[in-house]
Amino acid sequence: MSGVIEIRGVTKSYHMGGDVVVHALRGVDLTVDRGEFVAIMGPSGSGKSTLMNVVGCLDVPDSGSYQLAGEEVRTMTDDQLAAIRNRRLGFVFQTFNLLPRLNALENVELPLVYGGDGHERKERAMRALERVGLGERMHHRPAEMSGGQQQRVAIARALLNDPDIVLADEPTGNLDSRSSAEILAIFQRLNDEGRTVVMVTHEPDVAQHCKRIVRMRDGLVHSDERVEHPARATEELETMPEEPIAAPVPA
Amino acid sequence: MKLFDSFHEGLRSIAVNKLRSSLTMLGVIIGVAAVIAMVAVGNGASQQVQGTILSLGSNLVTVTPQAQTQNGLRGEGPASQTLTLEDMTAIQDQLGSSIAAIEAEQSAGPWQLTAAGQNWNTRVTGVTVDYPAVRDWNVADGAFFDQSQVNVNAQVAVLGASTAQQLFGDADPVGQSIQMRSLFVGSGPNARARIINFKVIGVLEAKGSTFGINRDDQVLVPTTTAQHVLTGRTTTVSSIVIKATSADAMDQTTSDVDQILMQRHKITDPANADFQVQNQNDTLAALNNITGTFTLLLGAIGGISLLVGGIGIMNIMLVSVNERTREIGIRKAVGARRQDILSQFLIEAITLTGTGGVLGIVLGWAISEVVKKIQSGIPVAITPGTVGVAVGVSVCIGVVFGLYPAMRAARLHPIEALRYE
Repeated sequence: MSGVIEIRGVTKSYHMGGDVVVHALRGVDLTVDRGEFVAIMGPSGSGKSTLMNVVGCLDVPDSGSYQLAGEEVRTMTDDQLAAIRNRRLGFVFQTFNLLPRLNALENVELPLVYGGDGHERKERAMRALERVGLGERMHHRPAEMSGGQQQRVAIARALLNDPDIVLADEPTGNLDSRSSAEILAIFQRLNDEGRTVVMVTHEPDVAQHCKRIVRMRDGLVHSDERVEHPARATEELETMPEEPIAAPVPA
Repeated sequence: MKLFDSFHEGLRSIAVNKLRSSLTMLGVIIGVAAVIAMVAVGNGASQQVQGTILSLGSNLVTVTPQAQTQNGLRGEGPASQTLTLEDMTAIQDQLGSSIAAIEAEQSAGPWQLTAAGQNWNTRVTGVTVDYPAVRDWNVADGAFFDQSQVNVNAQVAVLGASTAQQLFGDADPVGQSIQMRSLFVGSGPNARARIINFKVIGVLEAKGSTFGINRDDQVLVPTTTAQHVLTGRTTTVSSIVIKATSADAMDQTTSDVDQILMQRHKITDPANADFQVQNQNDTLAALNNITGTFTLLLGAIGGISLLVGGIGIMNIMLVSVNERTREIGIRKAVGARRQDILSQFLIEAITLTGTGGVLGIVLGWAISEVVKKIQSGIPVAITPGTVGVAVGVSVCIGVVFGLYPAMRAARLHPIEALRYE
């Protein structure tokens, strides 16, 4: 019972207008320990993204309990949730969710605008970008970068406040295989450094890079298994051609 | 979120939508410019009126006759004939140096003047020797009459600048003689003209017009001459004019004069007084009241356009919040609190209206300058107060009309905002 993420009987339903109610989560139990690298898989509508939003404090469960490092999240105020998103969690989205009007550096700085002391903001953002290998492209806008580069900017943003937990909702869903491998390599490195990583994906190949795979179906955890020998993304990268053809990225 | 960041964001988003921002701002610009220009014109008009009043002589307290009341019966017809030169002398003796100057006037009505083959028709007024001091109006040429001339009903005249011009052209009138003819004495077969000779001893400085009346078209003679020679109203004067030592002393002087005359005229109830003491301050206050209303009305017209501009701000801010729903979601996802989003949009609205306000002041100033050029009679006055109010009001409009859109933005749910396409 020392999981950094402790979810007990969490339900969540959405009213889609009229009498239509979608029960996205029907009583999910999940424990994630510190330092784990978990993939959450499942078909569309299985509730994996909803679960991710609850874990990421972007959404609040209807019932049940969610304890993050021992603190109950469900009863927190909006401002407390905002502070957790800002300091304790790093969230990476499938569609990157960068602000198109800001350059890479300004996008990465954003969490420090809303929290932290603002001291050395620029320096910290530059270091974060260098860590994901984008030191050269700090002043490019998202539209001037490939999908893989945009996702690396998003990761740099998620890492800025040095969170314990990194959450990713289909981070490789919009990327070619080389970019995907690069992103996975970064996540594996973060996990090696001791961070907890939880990632939603529907690609089995991608899931094989994690240490544990949780499968969901119809709003419940369906199966939960260990991966004996996770694939190493850095090794795969060595066998791939050097410069990938940058795929056009949907906005 | 620091204020600087919010401000920076506000400016950036205005810069991104330049056309839209400037069109939105136009509403505020026109509103503020309207307020500034309208109030400037109103203030200018009011200053002009004040200047005109003060050009009649400053710090004046005027005594004029009122209807007589006896045993509760108010007399009908013309004003009482009880104000005399002795009243003036009494006031002068009793108040001494606590007043600056005093004079008594008897208007003698219009007379036909003839001199050097020219003729002219103008009003003739009897005044006493301190007229130049009371009215701040000196002779430009020659001399004003002195007490000895007043004492002997001397037939001497001081001409207004226009009158002198009409009768003598460019020639020097001083020392010349003029004839005054009364227009109507008697009627029918008994009608006859009276012709009286006067010697011109001075010409007044030119003062221009007041309320459309040419003040330089007049003839001054000694009050005693007006009484005994011209009108036959041998004891009375039509007004006594006192110049107080300062604007602050006017109220004291007014009540002093009132008391002296009440005593001299043996009046116990002020309601029955057969005279009225008028204070120039009261006249100014009454006129300021009128011009103030006028200014307020003009300002209100500007205020309405400012209101319309504010609604435009609200409209565009709502559109902006809608367009940037996703951005709001992203900001919330990385830890922006409600108040961060609220202040971001509020400051954006304030930046819009504040910039509009400053530009509006410049435009308003330009309009007032143009008005000043076109209508040279109206002085235009932009006061720091007007500018302050305009800036304050435009910032307030940003707050008032930006608040609702900003609150809508702040209330957005992060997940719904992120899903928004």
